[in-house]
Amino acid sequence: MSFTFPSAEWATDYKRKLDENPAYREAAAAWTFGPIALVIKGDAAIGLAEDVGLFLDIDRGVCRDIKVVSRSDADKAPFCIAGEYSRWKSVIRKELDPIKAMMQKKLELKGQMTTIVKYVNASRELVESATRVPTQFLDEK
Amino acid sequence: MSCANDLSFSVYQPTRLVFGDGAVGELVSECKRHHIERPVIVTDKILRTKTDLVSRVEKSLGARLGGVYDGVIPDTGVEVIDDGATFVKKCGGDGLISLGGGSAIDTAKGMAIVLTEGGSIRDHQGASRLIRKQTPHIAIPTTAGTGSEVTLYIVVKDHAAHEKMNFMEDRIIPDGAILDPALTVGMPALLTAATGMDALTHAIEAYTSLNRNPVSDANALHAIRLVVEFLPRAVEHGDDKIARGQMLLAASIAGMAFNSSGVGMVHAMAHVIGARYGVHHGTANAICLPHVMRFCSDELGARYRDIADAMKLPIAGLGDEATGQRAADAVAELLKKLKLPLRLRDVAVPEAELEACAEASTSDGAIVFNGKFATDKDLLLGVYRNAY
Repeated sequence: MSFTFPSAEWATDYKRKLDENPAYREAAAAWTFGPIALVIKGDAAIGLAEDVGLFLDIDRGVCRDIKVVSRSDADKAPFCIAGEYSRWKSVIRKELDPIKAMMQKKLELKGQMTTIVKYVNASRELVESATRVPTQFLDEK
Repeated sequence: MSCANDLSFSVYQPTRLVFGDGAVGELVSECKRHHIERPVIVTDKILRTKTDLVSRVEKSLGARLGGVYDGVIPDTGVEVIDDGATFVKKCGGDGLISLGGGSAIDTAKGMAIVLTEGGSIRDHQGASRLIRKQTPHIAIPTTAGTGSEVTLYIVVKDHAAHEKMNFMEDRIIPDGAILDPALTVGMPALLTAATGMDALTHAIEAYTSLNRNPVSDANALHAIRLVVEFLPRAVEHGDDKIARGQMLLAASIAGMAFNSSGVGMVHAMAHVIGARYGVHHGTANAICLPHVMRFCSDELGARYRDIADAMKLPIAGLGDEATGQRAADAVAELLKKLKLPLRLRDVAVPEAELEACAEASTSDGAIVFNGKFATDKDLLLGVYRNAY
């Protein structure tokens, strides 16, 4: 069974994969900077009518919740990373490192870059966990 | 770098450069070109009161001049940028002319954001967030090093929150830059040396960056050639306008190189040393550069071979790693020749705090692109100790 990205089901399984990832817990143990929102920009061509946010409520290596939210709610997170659907697809497939993508202007960041950079290993584990979610991409349906 | 399938990069370099002895005389034409009717000069008090540079630019602008904001400080901050933007609004200014070193240019970049987007500069921290054209900005560098006139970066201190904010936005790259060697002839020798080493560091780190590309490579190597040939001349003979002009070009070209490639470990160290101990950015880069090159030479020797060629070093018969070490030695020799400090202890960095510095450097954005991947605190600490 695979889950459509992005969707509430995908978010639920992503949380499960994070919970099961001890490397993430260790790498993010000192993270106390609040939630991170990931925004997938709308693309009518693939059936994504508007921007969709994934709101990751993370703290000290624990993922307390992941919700699908609107763009405006996502923007309320202290860190908000936004990008085109194809960019996120590349991230989930580990073809694109998210921190390098921010530095290369392939992903947009609202928030303090130095904090994100410091947690480079945690960000890699966030991606690693995402790769473990059986994913159906909208443009491959 | 080959043009293999994995070659993927983008370069955005919109600044129109106007170069030449007396080029500041072109300022009004450049204002018209960028649709600036009422420009405001952004500068610092020292430049305004101790030199005739500001009055020369004022004279050049004539009746168009909207005002002069001289509140720039060495490491620009939130209050300065917000205050400057308020000043421009009061003057009815519709464009910015930054005049000075990197801090003046960075301040104007921040003011351009606040003037267009509103609020405080604090509200706009991040990367690639701006989607509109920002307030027009023409930079006139009076030092030759930062390359800020062609780059998308600003670092802003939030003194109240004790934080450093990073901005990386294509939309804040200045629309124009005037490179006039006549404006840099009065720069003191030590400042000339330190800012020139900043340019050399940009070029070497761009050429060895993980994010390098063929365009940044070409720019970086040429900037290295220019610095090696003309920096000693500019330091020794401050009134040599040819050397001054070539150094202005070197700084801008090196800026174009790292604008798309990023920098690396030297900057990750220098940012920390500058923020904690007030060491001039160029001097901090200069001290750290040879030590980082030695650290990286086992993995980046082939890149250092090209750099050594650009520096015209005799490297026949040397392997890649030895070539890297030779290039690092040559940089250290250049520092001695320029009479710059050679060690972190020379600029009063406390040995007991090297570990804290190394820890802080791991969260600097520059570390991400260092050609030899090294985000581990202990690796950085080794380089700090060597530089001490």
